[in-house]
Amino acid sequence: MDIILEEEKVDKLTLLLNKLINEGGASYVLLTDMAGNLICKSGEGSIDATSLAVLSAANFAATKEIARLIGEDEFSLLFHRGQKENIHFTRIDPEILMIVLFKPYVSLGLLRIKIEGIKKEIQKILGE
Amino acid sequence: MAVINFKEKLIQVKIVYYGPGRSGKTTNLIYIYDKLQQKLSGRPASRLITIDTRGDRTLFFDFFPVELGKIYGMDLKIQLYTTPGQVVYNTTRKLVLKGVDGVVFVADSLPARRQANIESLQNLKENLAHYNLKIEDIPLVFQWNKRDLEDEGLVLLDIETLEDDLNKELKAPSFPASAIRGYNVFQTLKQIAKLTISSVIRKFMLSEQIVKVAGG
Repeated sequence: MDIILEEEKVDKLTLLLNKLINEGGASYVLLTDMAGNLICKSGEGSIDATSLAVLSAANFAATKEIARLIGEDEFSLLFHRGQKENIHFTRIDPEILMIVLFKPYVSLGLLRIKIEGIKKEIQKILGE
Repeated sequence: MAVINFKEKLIQVKIVYYGPGRSGKTTNLIYIYDKLQQKLSGRPASRLITIDTRGDRTLFFDFFPVELGKIYGMDLKIQLYTTPGQVVYNTTRKLVLKGVDGVVFVADSLPARRQANIESLQNLKENLAHYNLKIEDIPLVFQWNKRDLEDEGLVLLDIETLEDDLNKELKAPSFPASAIRGYNVFQTLKQIAKLTISSVIRKFMLSEQIVKVAGG
């Protein structure tokens, strides 16, 4: 199944990603499909979004295989902590992954609540 | 799984270079990347990502995106990937095939690799089946690589043998090539890009028609 994104759909998705930046404290958010195709992004900074999408999808897929090897379906928290930037991965549905960059002073718990809040809305838009 | 984005006016497709270990998949990508870098001289190009072991074997994949002009006013972006060829890396090889829209099968022309080519094609069929894809239904181009070794006096598998071993039933387009010298590297890419884009557009048109018919 290919992903067809009409202009209106992209606008709606971008609004939701902006919400995560404005209300959740994220610095950069992007959506990719599990094949590594970038769907949309939001945030400032000179990030190579194409490469970030590709590597995140691959990382997610590899981590899922690791989970399977040790008898788990998948890990519930996928998160890397850095000195200046943290990164969090969320599976929106079986085909879509959300990647959120945020500063170390931002609360992961609060961010995760915000992510949960918009997850269903993203599912709805992509399912339309 | 292609992405068609009407807001950005962009069609993105994923093309995977498949084949046995050391057949020249990464060499193809590096040649394309270097040539495009030269062409773009000065302008920042996309990065070539490689995840390899300390030797020259691909551990997970190599990747870079190529922009290929416009169709119907939409920009075309082709995401090129290679897979690890070594038999032992099948899990990662399978992961790279996720959402593939087109495949280039890079076969090794050395007689000693004849069986490895056959096994790799069989492995491709099995891994596509994992995603409910049939090799017959996916855009495919064969590349008979390392033809330059003939100039060094080595005896290679002749094209007829390669065709007979791998392409007898599929009858996909094929090119003799030398990835290291660049012979037919861009021709292979052009052919698979053409087949893949038209397949994606055909599927899209069909789904639009279905929606229209369903909508009355």
